[in-house]
Amino acid sequence: MARALNEALDVALGNDDRVVLLGEDVGSTGGVFRITDGLLERHGPSRVFDTPVAESGIVGAAFGMAVAGLRPVAELQFLGFSYPAFDQIVSHVGRIRNRSNHRFTAPLVIRIPYGGGIGAAEHHSESNEAIYAHTPGVKVVVPSSPTDAKGLLLAAIADPDPVIFLEPIRLYRAVKEEVPEGHYTVPIGAARVVGEGTDVTLISYGAMMRDVIWAADVLATDGIAAEVIDLRTLAPLDHDAISRSAAKTGRVVVAVEAHRSGSLASEVAAIVQERALYSMLAPVERVTGYDTVVPLKRSEKHYIPGVGRIVAAARRALEA
Amino acid sequence: MALEFLLPDIGEGLTEATVVRWLAAVGETVRLDQPIVELETDKAVIEIPAPRAGVVLHHGASAGATVPVDALLVVIGEAGESWVGGGTPAPSPRREARAEAAPIVGTLEEAEPSAQAQPRALPLVRRLAASLGVDIAGVNGTGPGGRITRADVEGAVIAGGDVERVRLSPTRIAISKNLTRSWQEIPHVTTYATADPTAILRARSVGGTMVPLEALLIAAIVPVLQRHPAFNATLDGDTLIVRKHYDLGFAVDTPDGLMVAVVRGADGMTVTEMAGEVRRLAAAARDRSITIDEMRGATFTVSNIGAVGGGYGTPIIPYGTTAILSVGRAVDRAVVRDGVVVVGKEMPLSLSYDHRVIDGAAGRAFMAAVVAAIEEAG
Amino acid sequence: MDPLRLLAVDGRLIGEAPIGLDETLRLFAAMVTARVYDRKGSALQRQGRLATYAQFEGQEAAQIGSAVALRPDDWMAGTYRDAAAMWFHGYTWDKLLLGRMGDERGGAPPAGVNVLPPSITVGGHMIHAVGLGWAERLRGSDRIAITYFGDGATSEGDFHEAMNFAAVFKTPTVFLCENNGWAISMPRARQTSSETIAQKADAYGMPGVLVDGNDLLAMVAATREAVDRARAGGGPTLIEALTYRMAPHTTTDDAGRYRAGEDVEEWRTQDPIERVREYLKGAGAWNQAWEDDVSAKAAADIEAAVERAESLTPLSPDAMFDRMYARPTAVLEAQRRAVFRDEGGGA
Repeated sequence: MARALNEALDVALGNDDRVVLLGEDVGSTGGVFRITDGLLERHGPSRVFDTPVAESGIVGAAFGMAVAGLRPVAELQFLGFSYPAFDQIVSHVGRIRNRSNHRFTAPLVIRIPYGGGIGAAEHHSESNEAIYAHTPGVKVVVPSSPTDAKGLLLAAIADPDPVIFLEPIRLYRAVKEEVPEGHYTVPIGAARVVGEGTDVTLISYGAMMRDVIWAADVLATDGIAAEVIDLRTLAPLDHDAISRSAAKTGRVVVAVEAHRSGSLASEVAAIVQERALYSMLAPVERVTGYDTVVPLKRSEKHYIPGVGRIVAAARRALEA
Repeated sequence: MALEFLLPDIGEGLTEATVVRWLAAVGETVRLDQPIVELETDKAVIEIPAPRAGVVLHHGASAGATVPVDALLVVIGEAGESWVGGGTPAPSPRREARAEAAPIVGTLEEAEPSAQAQPRALPLVRRLAASLGVDIAGVNGTGPGGRITRADVEGAVIAGGDVERVRLSPTRIAISKNLTRSWQEIPHVTTYATADPTAILRARSVGGTMVPLEALLIAAIVPVLQRHPAFNATLDGDTLIVRKHYDLGFAVDTPDGLMVAVVRGADGMTVTEMAGEVRRLAAAARDRSITIDEMRGATFTVSNIGAVGGGYGTPIIPYGTTAILSVGRAVDRAVVRDGVVVVGKEMPLSLSYDHRVIDGAAGRAFMAAVVAAIEEAG
Repeated sequence: MDPLRLLAVDGRLIGEAPIGLDETLRLFAAMVTARVYDRKGSALQRQGRLATYAQFEGQEAAQIGSAVALRPDDWMAGTYRDAAAMWFHGYTWDKLLLGRMGDERGGAPPAGVNVLPPSITVGGHMIHAVGLGWAERLRGSDRIAITYFGDGATSEGDFHEAMNFAAVFKTPTVFLCENNGWAISMPRARQTSSETIAQKADAYGMPGVLVDGNDLLAMVAATREAVDRARAGGGPTLIEALTYRMAPHTTTDDAGRYRAGEDVEEWRTQDPIERVREYLKGAGAWNQAWEDDVSAKAAADIEAAVERAESLTPLSPDAMFDRMYARPTAVLEAQRRAVFRDEGGGA
């Protein structure tokens, strides 16, 4: 996935000279995860900028650039370091179109690596993306595959509205697949049915997709046909895809590594009962992290849901 | 046109203010935005500027008084204009600015997603169906939007096994509704008696034609009703409406069920006229040409169940009346006359009456009078 | 640091005038007009026709004297107190009034007017002027960006980040601090222990200039120099304009609770409009009748703007859904339908 993202940025920089990249260590180092590797060399110092350590400044400057007509792609190094920029995102990035009645807009992308499972220090494993999904005026997108990563990032850059682009850290190097060359986009706001099924629906996004697909395979060995859905966009959620599948199978398991209360899993459950209550055969199962600070490396595996918990939840739904 | 200026909320949540002093007296000419009054709020003392130029016609409150928000503060108009309180106010600038939004045509509600593979039923109902062994897909839903309700599932259980579901006809549904209402609201008491039908049965064949028994029964009962007005009445709340007109209903058996046809003004008819009317109505009921008006508004009902072989019964009082008489088939019985058992004819009578209005004694008295009238008929 | 001053308090010219008398008359008329608007804003609030109004009385020279140095297409990012500068740079009274009336249509200045709607959060907008100027430079244009903020805003972390970015990337950004002595009830002396705000520029590696903010001519001179420097590629400048907030923080504030009336009266003797009037009188360029005409015209223009703003067709109940994205999302459309379903269509 890291290479797919790099390709997307390279294509964008090449196609549209309004695109600029900025962030800490994105230039000469190529980014701490090497996502922007080689881009400074290829596109030059007037397209790729290393900034001081100032998340609020990065997003605020990118905001000004976007209002002036550029298409900035700002990077914040970890979701856990995005909090200083939260004010700029909520107070200005998401609001300027509304505040100026369409006169000024902010077509920028904020790329943020997120999620745990890499045994890093505190603040490096956050998954409270619900905070951003709850913010009017921004879109929130998260790929789970290299193909989606490249297409969604190119779509985000082309979007006339601000997009927060979450990158699942533990998938950067772990998933590899052939990715189409050149420019293509994956639509924002559309979930993807990864595999069709009739007995239970498994919904997730980002790094959890791997475990969800694995869980579907495990269930298949018991003759249970699970339908797997990758949300891909967290705001706006694809209500139709969610409710269509829920109505079809009557049983839904939604898995996220986020804190449980107020998570996107809660929102999915609300949509299911709103649009498909009469088809439900069991309560919606939420497989989530907990309302605790994400524990450090030694206890991380007890927090982040794994395939076992997903399978158990699916079985509970089938026995209800 | 004078401007009646109401005190606005100028302090982010202000509810009232006190007048410290007026800076412009009644009758004084003021410029637009000229300070006209000093008010004290819980935050500060502030001056209010005139919302229009003109002459101050009225102070809404005097110095020291408290003015609630949205109460009249001052009236400003033209020189020479007089202002009388309570007239149609010209809206203050703020009110004008708050005109209603232009009406927007509402948009249609979004339809349910079409891929509803499962029948509509709440999870609770599904669980019930499962526990009762009912296949929910085969249950007819009578809930909102065709939803399958708990009652639907339970009904499916009762129906159990090989069943055919027959929908009631509208007529039967209407009859059913009326009977339910009568039964639920009226405390029924039924009292029984027998009458010697000899006279009345003989009166049936007069001049070659058969007089319908219903006509003779009605003719016999009308005088009794005139003497026992509570039986020809309607109970309306706590008022008994005693009817002075005698529209007697009689039961007609039709393929669609028992119908009541009404002979209007039975007290003013001869037996012959009554017989003709009874025949006409019965025929109309059977061929369904009878009108609603001809079926409505009976003040007392006689039901000849003897015509279909009935004896005693527990007739149900038609809603809106206080009594009903059911007359059964006359049969031969061993009776005691002058101390000797002889064969006598007996016509069973069943009288149901509204016990809220008619007590036992009155019921028995009426019945006795009816028996006497029947035995003297002809 | 001594503040730059070209006009003495009594109106005598004590330096070289950066502008001729005609231009001075034009700016004087603008200041008089702005004050008419300021008074009207307060009156409208007292009449319940504006929700809250933030007066800028006393700061007319600081705002107009700096705004005049801009080119019409230069960017401006200011605060809720900078109505005079925004209007002078093209924002229109109508739009300013609509904004204070709580109508989002007030956030859209006319085409070609590059003034952002005012920032309400303190200090968050300075970095925007950095990004705006930076983008213009990257695109090869010589437009610059000016940002107005108060003494209070210099305490926000975003001030530091904006100044730092501007100097590091040498963006064409002019930082104009209107030090009006107060951040609601907090006096400048307790907002920062620095002797001046202008000297903070040194720490970031950019020039800092201290100016008498009530001296129209000094403001013009200082801002022009900073704007020219930025336009020529010389990077950002911080200007601290010493002035005074003559009125309370807003119409809901009671300044008497925290400051002495004597201070206000003292500053009234340094009124910026009076100072220029004396200067013009001394040059034989002013007369009462002319100023009365200016005031009368201002009052009429502003009255007409109030009327237009108040009689604008009200927003429909679902207008909020159309302003969030370029096109409303399916989720928003579903929510929009609920507005009519639940509120019965337009009430």
